[in-house]
Amino acid sequence: MIVTKSWLNEWIDLEGHSTEEIAKTFNAIGLEVDRVHTYSIPEKIVFGKVLECVKHPDADKLNICQVDIGTSTRQIVCGASNVRAGLDVVVATIGAVMPNGMQIKPVKLRGVESEGMICSASEIGLEDISQGIVELDSSIGAFHLGQEVRENPILNDDLIELELTANRGDCLSVRGVARDLSAAFNKPIKEYNYEDNDEKRGIGRILSLHSEKDLDVSVCYKALDLKDLKLPLIVKLRLAQINENRETDIESILLYTTHASGVILRAYSHQYFCEKEDDVMATVTLSENEDGYACVRGKSTASTIGVIQYDDSKLQESRGVVLLEASYVPPDIISKKMADHKIEAGPMFYKTSRGSEPELSGGLGYCIEFIAAHSASTTFGGNIKLSYNVKEKIVIINQQEIDEIIGASIDKGIISNILKNLGFDISKSSSENFIVQVPQFRHDIEHKQDIIEEIVRMVGIDNIPSKPLVLKEDNRLEDDYFTYKKRSVYRHRAAQSGFFESVHFVFDEKKTLNTYGFETTKEELELLNPIVQTLDTLRPTLLTGMLKAASNNVKNGYKSVKLFEIGSVFTPLREESSNMAFLFSGAIEPESLANSGKPQEVDFAAFVQKVSDVIGRIELREYTTQHTLSHPYQTAQVFMNNQAVGELFRVHPEVEKAYDLPTTFMCELDFSKIEYRLKTAQKSSKYQASFRDLSLIMPQDMSYQSVKDVIQKSATAELIRFYPVDKYSDESLGEHMSLSLRFVLQSEEKTLEEEEITKSMDTILDALKSELGIGLR
Amino acid sequence: MKEWYDAIQEAQSVERLEEIRISVFGKKGVLAAEFVKMKKAPNEEKATIAKELNTHKANLMSEFTARKIVLQTQELQKAMQAEAIDVSLFSTNSQAGALHPVMETMDRIVEYFSSMNFAVKTGQIVEDDFNNFEALNLPKYHPARDMQDTFYFKDEMLLRTHTSPVQIRTMMNTKPPIRMIAPGAVFRRDYDLTHTPMFHQIEGLVVDDAGKVSFANLKFILEDFLKYMFGDVEVRFRPSFFPFTEPSAEVDISCVFCQGEGCRVCSKTGWLEVLGCGIVDPNVFEAVRYKDVSGYAFGLGVERFAMLIHHIGDLRSLFEGDIKLLEQFQ
Ligand SMILES: [Zn+2]
Repeated sequence: MIVTKSWLNEWIDLEGHSTEEIAKTFNAIGLEVDRVHTYSIPEKIVFGKVLECVKHPDADKLNICQVDIGTSTRQIVCGASNVRAGLDVVVATIGAVMPNGMQIKPVKLRGVESEGMICSASEIGLEDISQGIVELDSSIGAFHLGQEVRENPILNDDLIELELTANRGDCLSVRGVARDLSAAFNKPIKEYNYEDNDEKRGIGRILSLHSEKDLDVSVCYKALDLKDLKLPLIVKLRLAQINENRETDIESILLYTTHASGVILRAYSHQYFCEKEDDVMATVTLSENEDGYACVRGKSTASTIGVIQYDDSKLQESRGVVLLEASYVPPDIISKKMADHKIEAGPMFYKTSRGSEPELSGGLGYCIEFIAAHSASTTFGGNIKLSYNVKEKIVIINQQEIDEIIGASIDKGIISNILKNLGFDISKSSSENFIVQVPQFRHDIEHKQDIIEEIVRMVGIDNIPSKPLVLKEDNRLEDDYFTYKKRSVYRHRAAQSGFFESVHFVFDEKKTLNTYGFETTKEELELLNPIVQTLDTLRPTLLTGMLKAASNNVKNGYKSVKLFEIGSVFTPLREESSNMAFLFSGAIEPESLANSGKPQEVDFAAFVQKVSDVIGRIELREYTTQHTLSHPYQTAQVFMNNQAVGELFRVHPEVEKAYDLPTTFMCELDFSKIEYRLKTAQKSSKYQASFRDLSLIMPQDMSYQSVKDVIQKSATAELIRFYPVDKYSDESLGEHMSLSLRFVLQSEEKTLEEEEITKSMDTILDALKSELGIGLR
Repeated sequence: MKEWYDAIQEAQSVERLEEIRISVFGKKGVLAAEFVKMKKAPNEEKATIAKELNTHKANLMSEFTARKIVLQTQELQKAMQAEAIDVSLFSTNSQAGALHPVMETMDRIVEYFSSMNFAVKTGQIVEDDFNNFEALNLPKYHPARDMQDTFYFKDEMLLRTHTSPVQIRTMMNTKPPIRMIAPGAVFRRDYDLTHTPMFHQIEGLVVDDAGKVSFANLKFILEDFLKYMFGDVEVRFRPSFFPFTEPSAEVDISCVFCQGEGCRVCSKTGWLEVLGCGIVDPNVFEAVRYKDVSGYAFGLGVERFAMLIHHIGDLRSLFEGDIKLLEQFQ
C-alpha cells in the first residue's frame, strides 16, 4: 500500500509531523514501512506559462517558445510534441541543477537562443507520467508564475510504502491509513460529506434496481451525465506513484478514488442496462449465479460483485449517461466463495478479499465531487442502494483480562481513548466491562485478544516492560531432545574427522533415482506441484545429492572432497526416517611436502577407517546393493554390534565418470540404528597379553569372513581379538595367497604359559584344517 | 705430563678425547707407565712421586671430564643443527571438516532454549491440512494462506510450511503446562535469490493456566535470546499479524552490519527483522481443545540467523555442499 504525505493530508492534518515521524509511527502501530521516498525537486525550477510557440525554422521537431516565468519572459527552445501556447508548464531556469546533474545554461539550438528548459515529470525527479512536458492544471492546487515548484506539496511530496499484513484490509486506502494514524496522533480524521442538490433530476427517473434474492452484498448507485472529462494531473502523478495505470480516463479516476477512499467503484454505461437503444429507464438486476456469486446483470452479466467487471459493460468513451456503482462484500464471504469455486478475478479482488470500505456513500460522493470538479458533467440527484443485514459485532472485555494478557497495567482512560479514536463505539461500557461495538470496516476484530492487540499497538510494545515467566519446573528432556543431541554428537565427530557437513533439499529427481535403481514415492502419493522437474520427488537416499555436490566441488578445483550429511529420507510409502551418509572422493590428503605434491587417492581401507573414526567399531560383510551406484566388487554391508546398519562401497566407475569424479567412496547408514548410549567399562585383566602371528595359506577367492567365522567358533576363552596384518601372493603360491593374522591372548587369572598359548592356537588351526582345508605355510 | 694437559685442551672431538683417555689412563697409558717407573725409584722419593702422580691423575681426570662435556655439547649442537628445518614451509590449515553454518546456528539456538528448560520436539515433515493450517486458525479461504505457497501430495497431504504443526501435535498429546521448541526443515514453493524451497525454522510455544502467560513474558525471553545470539544489539518490537497469534509482533534487531546507521542489507532502515511472535490466538487453543489457558508463541528462520551471524550473502549456496563456503567454518 502506497501513500504520500500530501494525499494523507487530505484526510488528516499532518501539519507539524515530519515524514520521519510518520514513518516511525507507522512501524510502531503495526503498519510496516517498506520504503520512504522523497521527491525532491531542485531549486530554480519554476512555474511558467507558454505565451507563444512557433516552429524552429531549421529543425522540424523543435519549437521556439516565449515563456512567462513571472519575473520575465524567456525564449526557450523545446522539443516536446505536446508544447503549445497557453500551456502552464514547469520551467528549469538558468542555473538550475537537474536531478541527473545537468546544469541549465543559456545555449544556442540550431542557431536559436534558448534560456532554460520546459520539463517533463521524470526530468524533475518525479515518476514518469507520459511522454512530453508536464501540462499543469488546477488539480495540484494554486500556483503563480515564477513560484518555485518545490514549494508545491503535491509535486514535492514524500512517498511511504507500507507492507500491510493480511488482516488489515481497512488500511488498503489512503483514508484507512489516515484513520489508523488519527488514533496514533490523537487527531480527528476529516470526513467528506457529499451534499446532494435536490433541484437536480432524480436518479429514479433513469434507473431501477431489482434484487432476485437476499444477497450478502451492499451496492449504491449514482448517475451522472459525463461531459468534457479530462484526466487531471494529480491523478496521473499519483497513479504513477502507486505504479498503476488504466486505459481510459474514467477508469483512472475510479482507481484513484478507490485508492483514496477504499470504496470499490465501477462505472457502467447506462445504455447497457436498457432493453432498447433509446430507452430512458435502465434496470439493474442483482442475482446469484450458479457458483453462488452475486452478479450485476443488464444485457448480460455486467460484473461479479467484489470480483470482476466484464469488458462489455465498461464505458467505451468517457462521456454520456453513466452509472457509478459502489459495492461491498464481506471479505470472509468472498474469499470462501473463491476458495470453493475459483473464477477469474479483476484487479480489485485483492482489496475486496481483504476487506474494502463498507461505508459506500462517502466513497461514491468523493468520486462524484472529483469528477464534477474536473469536468463539465452534471449529476442526477439522490442514489439508489441496497444493503444487506449487517450483524453487529460486540466484544466484552474487562480491565483484568487486558492486563493479564499484556502483562502490565494500562490506564483505563488511555484504553477508552484508543478505542474511540480507532472508531470503536464504547458508549455502552459499564464500570466493570468495556462493551466494544466494532465498526464494520474492522473485519479483523472478533475476539477479546483482537481488542487487546489494538491497545498493545497503540500503547507501543516498547512501553510494555519485559517480565520473566515463572513456570512450574519439570524435566523437559525427552526423546526428541536426545535424538537431537545424538545428531549433534555425531555431526561434531564427523566434522572433527575431516568431513564437511552438507545439507540438501529433501527433494530429488525421480528419473535419476529410478535410473540408479532407487525406489521412489508411490505414484498415488507423489508430489502434486514440484517446484522444478529436477526436484520432483522425495529423496529415498542421501547418496545422489552428495554425488552431485561432490561433482560440483571437483569442478570448482577441489582434489579431495569429504562430505557428510544427516537428513530425512522417505520410503515409497512416504515414511520418514533419518540417514547418515559419508562421501570421500579423490586425494586422501592435501598435496604437501610430505607426499611430494602427489597424495594417494582414497582407498577402501582408508575410507572404512574414516567412517569408523566417526561412528565407532564396525564390521563389514560382503554385500550387493539394491541400487547401481556401487562397484560390485567393493561393496560391504556395515554391522555394528551384529546389527546391519547400512552399506559402504566404492562408487561404480561408470557413475564416477558420469559425475566427473576421481575414485570415490560412499557410505549410507540408518541413523536410528547407530547406538547412542553411555559406555560401560569392561573389566580388564591385569595379566600380560601375548601375541601370536599365523600365516595361513588359503585360496585367493576364499572370503576372510569364512575364516573369521571358523576362528570365532573354535577359539578358546583366552583369545581376546585377532585381525589381519598382512596379505601376500606370488607365483609360487599359484591360486593361493598367504594371509597373516595376529592373535591376542590373555587370561583374567594368570599370565599364560607357552604351552597354553600353543594349545589355543592348535585348536584354531585344527578347526581351520577340518572346516576349510587350510593351514600354515 | 704438560703435553697431555695441552692435548686434552686441544682435542676437537669426543673420539680424540677418548684416544687421549686411553693413552693417559689406560692400562698401557702414560700414568700406568709412570707408576711402573716410580717402583724403580729410590724408596725415599716414592712417596713424593706417588703424590705428584696422583695429583696429575686427578687434575687430568677433571680436565678430561670438563673437556668431554664441552665437546659433547658441541657435538649435540652440531647434530641438531644438521636437523634444522625451515618451519615456515610447514604452515598449514586444519584438516578437520566443518559443521554446516545453518545446522551450527540451529544448535546454538536449541542450546539456548534447552538451557531455559524448553523441551525439544521435532515432528514430521509430511503433514496434513489440519495440523499445518486448519488448527492454526488458517481455514481454507484465509487470505494468509496464499502468503504460503504449499507443496501438496496427490493424496492431499502436504509438506509442512512451518514447524507450527509440531506444536499442534504436542498440544493434542499433552496437557499444559507446555514449554517447547520445534526445530526443523520447512517447505514453501519459492525459489530465487532470497528463497529456497526448503529452509529451517525454530518455533517456540509456552502454555500455562489462563492469566499466567503475558506479552511481557514473551518480550523478556526474546530480548534475552536475541542478545545471546547477536551480542549487544538493540531489540525492537513492531505490532504485526499472524493468524495463530493475537496480539502479534515482529521483532527487529539493530543492523549488525552498520550498527543501525543504515546500509544495503537493512535497506537503509538500520533494523533487521529476525522474529515473529505473539500471544496464542484463542482459535488455536479451541482447535486443540484447551480451555482456560494462556500462552505465547514465536518463530524464526534459521537461515536468516546464519546469514546475519556469519555474513553469508547467497542463500542457495547453503544447499549445495559447497566446500568453498563450508571450509570457512573450519
Ligand atoms: Zn544496516
